[in-house]
Amino acid sequence: MPWQSGILMAMNMLALSELLGSTVYDSTGAASGRVREVALAPQEDRSRIAMFIVKTSSGNRLLPLNAVSAIDDGVRASTAAGDWTDANGAEGMLLLSRDLLDQQVIDVYGRKVVRVNDVDFYRDTLHGHPSLKIEGVDVGARGAIRRLLKGVVPAPALRALLQRLPQREIPWDFVDLIETDPARRVRLKISHDRLAKLHPADIADIVEDLAPDEREAVFETLDEEVAAGALEELEPRVQKSVLESLDSDRAADIVEEMEPDAAADLLADLPEERTAEILVQMQPEERQEVADLLEFKENSAAGRMTTEYIALPVTSSTNEAIEALRTFGGRMESMSTVFLLDSHGTLSGAVPLAKIVLAPPATALLALTQEPLISCREDAKEKEFAELFDKYNLLTLPVVDEHSRLMGVITPDDVINMLRAKL
Amino acid sequence: MKFLRRWKAQILLVFAVVGPGFITANVDNDANGILQYSQAGAQFGYMLLWTMIPTTIALIVVQEMCARMGAVTGKGLSDLIREEYGLRITFFMMIGILLTNFGNVVGEFVGIVGSMGLFGVSKYISVPICAVIVWLIAVKGQYKSVEKVFLLASFFYVTYIFAGALAKPAWIEALKTTVKPPEMEAFRHSAYLYTVIGLVGTTIAPWMQFYLQSSIVEKGVTRRQYAASRLDVIVGCIFTDVVAWFIIVACAATLYLHGARDIRDAADAAQALHPLAGEWAYILFALGLFNASLFAASILPLSTAYTVCEGLGFESGVERKFSEAPVFYWLYTALIVAGGAVVMIPGLPLIKIALLSQVVNGAVLPFVLIFMLLLINKKDLMGEYVNKLTFNIIAWATTGIMIVLTALYMYGLFHGGAG
Repeated sequence: MPWQSGILMAMNMLALSELLGSTVYDSTGAASGRVREVALAPQEDRSRIAMFIVKTSSGNRLLPLNAVSAIDDGVRASTAAGDWTDANGAEGMLLLSRDLLDQQVIDVYGRKVVRVNDVDFYRDTLHGHPSLKIEGVDVGARGAIRRLLKGVVPAPALRALLQRLPQREIPWDFVDLIETDPARRVRLKISHDRLAKLHPADIADIVEDLAPDEREAVFETLDEEVAAGALEELEPRVQKSVLESLDSDRAADIVEEMEPDAAADLLADLPEERTAEILVQMQPEERQEVADLLEFKENSAAGRMTTEYIALPVTSSTNEAIEALRTFGGRMESMSTVFLLDSHGTLSGAVPLAKIVLAPPATALLALTQEPLISCREDAKEKEFAELFDKYNLLTLPVVDEHSRLMGVITPDDVINMLRAKL
Repeated sequence: MKFLRRWKAQILLVFAVVGPGFITANVDNDANGILQYSQAGAQFGYMLLWTMIPTTIALIVVQEMCARMGAVTGKGLSDLIREEYGLRITFFMMIGILLTNFGNVVGEFVGIVGSMGLFGVSKYISVPICAVIVWLIAVKGQYKSVEKVFLLASFFYVTYIFAGALAKPAWIEALKTTVKPPEMEAFRHSAYLYTVIGLVGTTIAPWMQFYLQSSIVEKGVTRRQYAASRLDVIVGCIFTDVVAWFIIVACAATLYLHGARDIRDAADAAQALHPLAGEWAYILFALGLFNASLFAASILPLSTAYTVCEGLGFESGVERKFSEAPVFYWLYTALIVAGGAVVMIPGLPLIKIALLSQVVNGAVLPFVLIFMLLLINKKDLMGEYVNKLTFNIIAWATTGIMIVLTALYMYGLFHGGAG
């Protein structure tokens, strides 16, 4: 019968709030203290409890799980209270009541930030003694009501009531902890690996819900490329806040991973000294690209363009084009057109990727150009190039200087970005 | 060019940050505030003016603490209480805030009834219509644009300053009583005690602390921009209390002087503006009161819903759909509906209820202050921004005094005190 197995399952589960404050009996059977904390050593085992911190009349003591003989309505130790060591070096461990209960954590599966109401353990045995494994964190009514009514309603009645409530639990594997102290992050092995696998927009959503210090902690830990992607997706105000709070060299590392035009847009909004501080820390090549773009006025074509594009001599054929596409390190959006330059570097043609793919091998690119050749001047206003995109159904819009030399390329996402800001 | 650009940046920075402190302080002069100050002036003349300076100092200290906590931690007050003190304590605090704020919401509706009543509109019409308007303002997310309108309209309060002056008060006496400490004898009278608690409660309302801190966090004020926020808070508090002073003086110079010691309805309070506006006193007062009530009624239920949801971990936010944040929307709606419903019950002494809600504010204030003080003195939370000694002294003193006053009043109640 389902309800019976439900109860059996329930007997294998234990909640953190049920453990905290329960009496600890030592090997002589004497009540020697109360459970004050439940500690985890993530460097050794990410989900198995390592020890209890017991509050005794002579101070806090450590009780490792392998010295526990039973956990029923108290904790029974197999060692004498006098043998328990002083709980002074517990800083390297994750203390569940202090660090997890009532704190915010990242739910990587649900892609949001949640607050922990309680922690659920699964009981089993390890090497002959009871062991507790974290199953997940409770972020719903069940955990909340258990915490509220503990001690007020007798335990069996409480359990029965709680069984009826829907459970919202996030499996421990999907929980990413947030820790603002860098040293502790290392000790607790918080690397945000799982968070990093999410889409940058989702990471941005999550990070926007965090307090500034926590946000900074996440951006300091994430891999630079991932951080750059997430940074681009953040709301402008939050972007600025993050860039201002990070160390200049870390900020530079992240900005280097961004597309130059996105990086320039971002840095343009910061106070000048801050922009300078970050630029100085960047690699020379990336720094030059971004600095160049920063020179242009933000709302003109030159301010919106990217300097990463594919350009070949007018005499090239599809073979060279395919080779260039293969070795191109930029974004896909910049790959949709190959530009043709004459010997003076002036823009002579634009060949859509589709035509390159469909043409027989070794076709002269000049034969595949899109007519008419549309481009815009570097000082063109937003309205103008948006109109061009619409009128000619462009995939890319080359930006040229007064000598018709190619300077950069505007891609659709730049235009969409700009239009959305006006919506 | 660069110089101008930097100046422009500075000014923009100030404007960007100006807001939370000034707005909170202005909403402080809501219907409850106006009624409380009017009653104080009518019933006691200039005798309660001494409360203004200490209360203003306490207000500035308390608000500054909230602004500082919000800027440094980036978290709201209920979030901090939850993270540092756990679910159970937060739960009780939220219940307390819910009930206290509900009282304030009722007070705002009393203001709506009173002001519309001066135009001859029955409460059975004005309340439902305004309740719907208030509800829509938040739910349709138009709050930000409406906020500017309300703020502008807040300058209506300046009329009290003129009214106060034109009422030809006894300036010397008024100023003397403002700086002279009160007679300890006066505290034996329960009515006096009641009004003092109410005055503090209306000036330093618990809901304001939660609201200000959340506004600071929402605005994204960081430690670096914090100095501008502090200025915003101080200016707001001073402005609001100057207005309060004039309200008391205006009522003292008119109502008290002519023996009208009790404000039974808005019409009585409107009389205070007679010297300024003569027959137009009614209209001026009604418009000012209406603006104040509607403004606060748009903020309070929303702020309460946010505070409670954040503290207890429910989804919140007007940008979310109803199905995504049910508790938030239900709370918000229930506060408005219940607030309006209470006010529509026939025969209720509305002004007395509004005044009572402020006394409740004053009684609950110490609890909120205690938590704030415990949090703001935690080094691992606030770093180098922990409270300096003076702030601690002022805030703890305020807490202690309020507890003592409330205890004295309770004692007086049960032992049939005089007055």
